[in-house]
Amino acid sequence: MRTFLSCLKTLISSTRLVALVLMMCVAHIYALTALAATYTPDNLPIPYLQDKTQYVSNPDGILSQATVDSLNLWLGQMEASHGVQTVLAVVERIEGGEAYDFSMALGRKYGIGSKEQNSGLIIVLATEDRAYYILTGRGLEGTLPDAICKRIENRQMLPSLREGEWDEAMLNTVRAITQYVDGDDSLVGSSDFDDDDDIAALIAFVVCMFLGLGLIVFGIWYDNYKKSYCPSCHQHKMKKISGYTTKNSLLGIRSHHDTYRCTHCFFTKEIHWDENLNSGSGGAAAGGALGGSFFGRGGGFGGGGHFGGGSFGGGGAGGHF
Amino acid sequence: MKKSTIYLIIAAVVVLFGFYGCKQYNSMVSQDEDVSRAWSDVETQYQRRADLIPNLVNTVKGYAAHESETLQAVVEARTKATQITVDPENLTPEKLAEYQAAQGEVSQALGRLLAITENYPDLKANEQFSELQAQLEGTENRIAESRRLFNEAAQQYNVTVRSFPNNIFANLFGFGVKGNFKADAGAEKAPTVEF
Repeated sequence: MRTFLSCLKTLISSTRLVALVLMMCVAHIYALTALAATYTPDNLPIPYLQDKTQYVSNPDGILSQATVDSLNLWLGQMEASHGVQTVLAVVERIEGGEAYDFSMALGRKYGIGSKEQNSGLIIVLATEDRAYYILTGRGLEGTLPDAICKRIENRQMLPSLREGEWDEAMLNTVRAITQYVDGDDSLVGSSDFDDDDDIAALIAFVVCMFLGLGLIVFGIWYDNYKKSYCPSCHQHKMKKISGYTTKNSLLGIRSHHDTYRCTHCFFTKEIHWDENLNSGSGGAAAGGALGGSFFGRGGGFGGGGHFGGGSFGGGGAGGHF
Repeated sequence: MKKSTIYLIIAAVVVLFGFYGCKQYNSMVSQDEDVSRAWSDVETQYQRRADLIPNLVNTVKGYAAHESETLQAVVEARTKATQITVDPENLTPEKLAEYQAAQGEVSQALGRLLAITENYPDLKANEQFSELQAQLEGTENRIAESRRLFNEAAQQYNVTVRSFPNNIFANLFGFGVKGNFKADAGAEKAPTVEF
């Protein structure tokens, strides 16, 4: 009887264990399926802030890398030539399921587009919520009026969206948008020197360079000045009384032998030094390396970008598919 | 205390009062200007909607000629709304409520019109109508955004004007409380589509 009870106990405890393990497995699987999070304007990752060549936010990996690269290229050209700052987000779910509210909140949060031109552009596609919106900044409403946005969506985006061809939809849409933007001369492009931060950094760099050079020159002069005093009486300057040079063609070196004498205590010093005949450009190579390291800000060509503070009035178009 | 000291103290208090009043007046003026600017933005967006309506009515007429009642209602509401203009100097809560009510009628008439267009698949498939609808939706979004910004500006102004001790200066210089946009009455009820 006792053994039966103990057997039963172990059986129950083992079943409990098995049940627990099963529940944990189910919980993990459930968590994995829900891993594609619902994005809010606050937690949507914006790669542009780390790397200003990345306009596309693709956290769920819906778009292929080739598509992302092409889109970044076109959107980068659009920013350089017309100052249009874009955020393109393709996710599965957005909070609330309405792409207009999401885009508008994103625009208000980050202030996309320059403050002078208000040329921000936000494109949002939620594939599971089946919602999309193209939101134009106040300054872009003339170039991309609502009707044109709707036309682009009807002709370029919707047919591919209905097939589930997300890459094609985005590529066609952005291509159409760039054509409209390129045709507009009123939008002024941004160059790197419009950036206040860049100008400040450049000025600081130039000032430091001059200071550094000044210090080096001063140091060399001071060194020579100090060296020219007599080591024994520390008063009068050493004068060169004789010197000869020998040339070694094999090594490409000219050797100098100079004799210096103090004019006061007649202390004599001989100095030998070599001059390298072939390459006098060692200094230039070092200078180039130094300059190169200054210009390569964080991560080579794509330093972090920042948004200009442009505002959105609620223009654009969108819908559900 | 000597008489001259008392006079000096009184003079100092008056001068300080004057400076403070000056500062408050300037800040009220600048906030009043913010409200006026936000108001003109709101008016612009409502005007934009009013400009879109004739085109919309004509397009729908081409496909749904016998919906003349609904179309007529839209045109009439629009005419009434464009006749009500509010001077930014006169943005009292009553005036604003009147303006909002008139525009609200336009919204309702438009809503009914767009609801009945659901019955006409040819109209819906028309690309021009789709673009007009997009323009209308965009304008509604812009109206909502401009109203939101106006409300923010008006609230900031109202807080300045109503809080103590500023309300003394406000009454002195004639700065009144400005109205706010409230949520549209009847917005809880979506227009029903009757087949």
